[in-house]
Amino acid sequence: MQASKGLKLADILITVVISIVFGIVYKLWGPFYYFVKPFGLHIDQLVYGMWFIAATVAFLIIRKPGVALLAEIAASSGEFIAGSEWGLEVLIYGVVQGLLAEIVFAAFRYKRFDVLVVSLAAIGSTIGSLVMDFYKGYIEALAPWNLALFLLARFVGAVLISGVFASSLVKALEATGVTQMVRSASKEDYEQLNR
Amino acid sequence: MEYVTFVEQLRLKFPGKETLLFKDLSLFFKKGEKVLLLGPSGCGKSTLLQVLSGLIPHSVDIPMKAKHIQIPDNWGFVFQDPDSQFCMPFADEEIAFALENIGVPREQMTARINELLQLVGLPISPHTNIHTLSGGMKQRLALASVLALEPDVLFLDEPTAMIDDEGTEMIWRTVKQIAHDKTVIIVEHKIEHVLDFVDRIILFNDAGEIVADGEANLIFRHYKETIASQGIWYPGVWDDYCQKRKWGKPSPKQKEMIRLADFQGYRNKKAAIRVDEASVYEGEWIAVTGKNGAGKSTLLHALMKLIPTDGEYEIEGEALQQTKQIARRAAFVFQNPEFQFVTNSVWEEVAYSLRLAKRSDEEIHSTVEKLLKTFHLEAQKDQHPYQLSVGQKRRLSVAASIIGGQKLLLLDEPTFGQDAKNTFALLELLDSYREKGTAIIMVTHDERIVQQFATRRWVIDNGRLVLDEPVARTINEALMSV
Amino acid sequence: MRLEIGYRETWLHRINPSLKLLVMLAIFIAVLFVHNPNVLANLAVALLLLFFICTGYPLKYLLLFFLPFLVIFVSTASSMTLFGEGKTTWFQWGLIHITEESFLRGMHLGFRALTFALLGLIFSLTTRPVYLFYSLMQQLKLKPKYAYSFLAGIRLIPIILEEFQTVQNALKVRGAAQVGIFEKIKRYAIPLLSQSIRRAQRIAVAMEAKRFSSGMARTFYYEISFSKYDIVFIFSMAGIIVLAYCVGTILPYVPVVDVR
Ligand SMILES: Nc1ncnc2c1ncn2[C@@H]1O[C@H](COP(=O)(O)OP(=O)(O)OP(=O)(O)O)[C@@H](O)[C@H]1O
Ligand SMILES: Nc1ncnc2c1ncn2[C@@H]1O[C@H](COP(=O)(O)OP(=O)(O)OP(=O)(O)O)[C@@H](O)[C@H]1O
Ligand SMILES: [Mg+2]
Ligand SMILES: [Mg+2]
Repeated sequence: MQASKGLKLADILITVVISIVFGIVYKLWGPFYYFVKPFGLHIDQLVYGMWFIAATVAFLIIRKPGVALLAEIAASSGEFIAGSEWGLEVLIYGVVQGLLAEIVFAAFRYKRFDVLVVSLAAIGSTIGSLVMDFYKGYIEALAPWNLALFLLARFVGAVLISGVFASSLVKALEATGVTQMVRSASKEDYEQLNR
Repeated sequence: MEYVTFVEQLRLKFPGKETLLFKDLSLFFKKGEKVLLLGPSGCGKSTLLQVLSGLIPHSVDIPMKAKHIQIPDNWGFVFQDPDSQFCMPFADEEIAFALENIGVPREQMTARINELLQLVGLPISPHTNIHTLSGGMKQRLALASVLALEPDVLFLDEPTAMIDDEGTEMIWRTVKQIAHDKTVIIVEHKIEHVLDFVDRIILFNDAGEIVADGEANLIFRHYKETIASQGIWYPGVWDDYCQKRKWGKPSPKQKEMIRLADFQGYRNKKAAIRVDEASVYEGEWIAVTGKNGAGKSTLLHALMKLIPTDGEYEIEGEALQQTKQIARRAAFVFQNPEFQFVTNSVWEEVAYSLRLAKRSDEEIHSTVEKLLKTFHLEAQKDQHPYQLSVGQKRRLSVAASIIGGQKLLLLDEPTFGQDAKNTFALLELLDSYREKGTAIIMVTHDERIVQQFATRRWVIDNGRLVLDEPVARTINEALMSV
Repeated sequence: MRLEIGYRETWLHRINPSLKLLVMLAIFIAVLFVHNPNVLANLAVALLLLFFICTGYPLKYLLLFFLPFLVIFVSTASSMTLFGEGKTTWFQWGLIHITEESFLRGMHLGFRALTFALLGLIFSLTTRPVYLFYSLMQQLKLKPKYAYSFLAGIRLIPIILEEFQTVQNALKVRGAAQVGIFEKIKRYAIPLLSQSIRRAQRIAVAMEAKRFSSGMARTFYYEISFSKYDIVFIFSMAGIIVLAYCVGTILPYVPVVDVR
């Protein structure tokens, strides 16, 4: 039972549903982000990484090509439909961030699921978000020391939240046995039928 | 003779489990047959239906193989769980989804939808949010959307598990009406409604093997011993049971346990349940009955203060405000067993309350093992609660709740989806608690349970306690013939 | 999404959802290339009027929805204003350095955030998700398996929120030991996620049991097509943009035409 052409309905549906759960989190994260923003010095950028988590968590659960991108799009749609403060912008950001995470997973041929790869994917998403910010927010016009701080905070936050935290979340989920239902049954299981 | 669906030498095993669920099982179904699959809870009936319909392994990847297998071209499936079979927000859209799948032209849809809702006896306006329907109504909607497919073969997996008598009647009547030319494969514990409909019965044992297969009447005549020993429902099982059973003593009226006066529970700021005046005494077994959507579950939720309430409500003379405090006196079993699982294995789930109460390890071990045995869950003890069969989930939720030893039990349909053996075991256990003074408030749709075990009956209608009467716990001759 | 709130259906509700989405995305991208604060301010004001007058919701709710956007405006504007680079210093204190350039750039960013937010808000207030996805399938050929997955997902939102309540209830009824904050987050997150996955899986099975398959041609319960409102919409959007541009260049509020 190998995954044939593209994602199965169950894969898509599960990805979309987890992403919508995260979409709600994304939506609630907005006010939080703006709440910490006035503290200045880009404390807010440390929490920015939460907006990349759907891609990494969904990929870790389903482990199939296309899931990271779909998850990030679905999560941002969920956030959008729930009435995000950023409006349409989140959709575009979602696509770009998901795409870069997807590229990272693809670079490892969808064969590695460890913290390192997931953190790299989070970094990929971060780069995606920065590209968007570059066009939208004139971030290059910030004072250099400020820009450096900004970048550092965003990368560190992304790795911590969407890399490390996401991995530990999925580990805990695996303990509940739910992931076993999602992933294809193993060869050994099929072989045991012949005993 | 042509077979519409069959499997030959089916083998199936859940990932991570030691043993095969089915080993070389072969089954053939002829066109137009009405077949009832009977077997103890957890023997694999639901799984088998999914194999026969091709859902396993096409949609659910579970390791299986078969020498030959034929799946019907045109089939419909009603699942056990009413909540997770819909994908659209509104009733009409849900039925339309099925119509779209088979390419019904748009112009005909509205008429078809109304017709189908009529057919299953669901008198709602088509554009109703599914979320606001009761469990019974949802199940009727599920049937409607399956009938929309105009299937040749119908797979029904306990479609009436949580439905009141009237609704059950209605659903089976509907099935009988529309299915006379179809092949129907049914899994159902409440057999009395389907016996006059099915013409073949296949009996399974605990190990998922076929022990008998034949014409409905003959099966019950020739295999009575087997059926009884496997603990499967059969006509007259209650009578046999009532003769054998040692009846528990009625507990003399003792201390007042609960007192309610002008009590109300609110859903969305509206009064959803109202009790003008009622009391519950120690050693009483109160059966709460009423139609689907009457407010039975709401009453129990109100008694646990899971929803806002007002009015007078005392437990053992105290007006407790918080759910947490009430939970120390009262065990609660949710209608949907999945709502209450908080751990990752059957064993841990049962042990949970004891662990919280900081009991010693030996005590926990022995109590848990004993209860798992009573509830026939020993073989599943390392499984995740969600990976159980429906009947097993139900039993686990009851076991995990009553282990705390509370003096008050609030049980929302604790026996649905059970085989005879487990139903009686559960009822007897509860009755032994009752004899020792525990008060039981139990929602049920099963009239025999009310007659045989309850001491009092509360009837809920339209969000109100309308009748509070004692039940004479005698063996009523008139009701003996099922 | 805001089905619970009563609203009046306006012409904005009757526009083809795919068209609406594409036009709004086009405006979104166009706005990225607007560097003249005068033009942008005009555009934001025009959309604001559209939002308050044409979405058909009671004013009370509109104000409520709008509140967070004001916060965004201020916060987006302020961080660039306070820390941006520039030549004409107005104020300096420690790390804070406000210049004329950074101020204007800040305001510009604020208006830009506001424009994006309004575009999104107008869209989501006037579009029923079911119609959106039906339209995406019909006009933009989105694969049904994606569209219905999204619809099923949206249907699950209230159930998921309720599930949160349920987890809470279960923990109350079954009792729960006191634990730290991290454990507490997990205690809610894990059951919520695992339950959502299970539910999604079952729904996928149920959908396939209703003979949903992506290969076949299907009919649609809702036929989403085009109408005269779509033309009105395209022209009014174009009108708003042209007007904002002309007014912004002919009668500027500030003499700057490029904030970069
Ligand atoms: N995902 C799973 N992983 C492991 N075991 C499972 C899984 N799902 C079901 N089982 C086990 O397979 C057996 C058959 O389950 P099934 O749901 O088919 O039973 P059933 O005959 O329909 O019972 P019931 O009458 O209680 O609904 C049960 O013992 C159950 O514990
Ligand atoms: N969470 C909820 N929110 C709002 N309304 C609800 C909720 N749960 C149930 N209701 C409504 O309250 C009424 C009573 O429902 P309740 O679940 O108490 O019925 P019931 O008697 O237990 O029915 P059943 O036999 O189907 O379980 C119904 O009309 C139902 O639609
Ligand atoms: Mg079953
Ligand atoms: Mg109920």
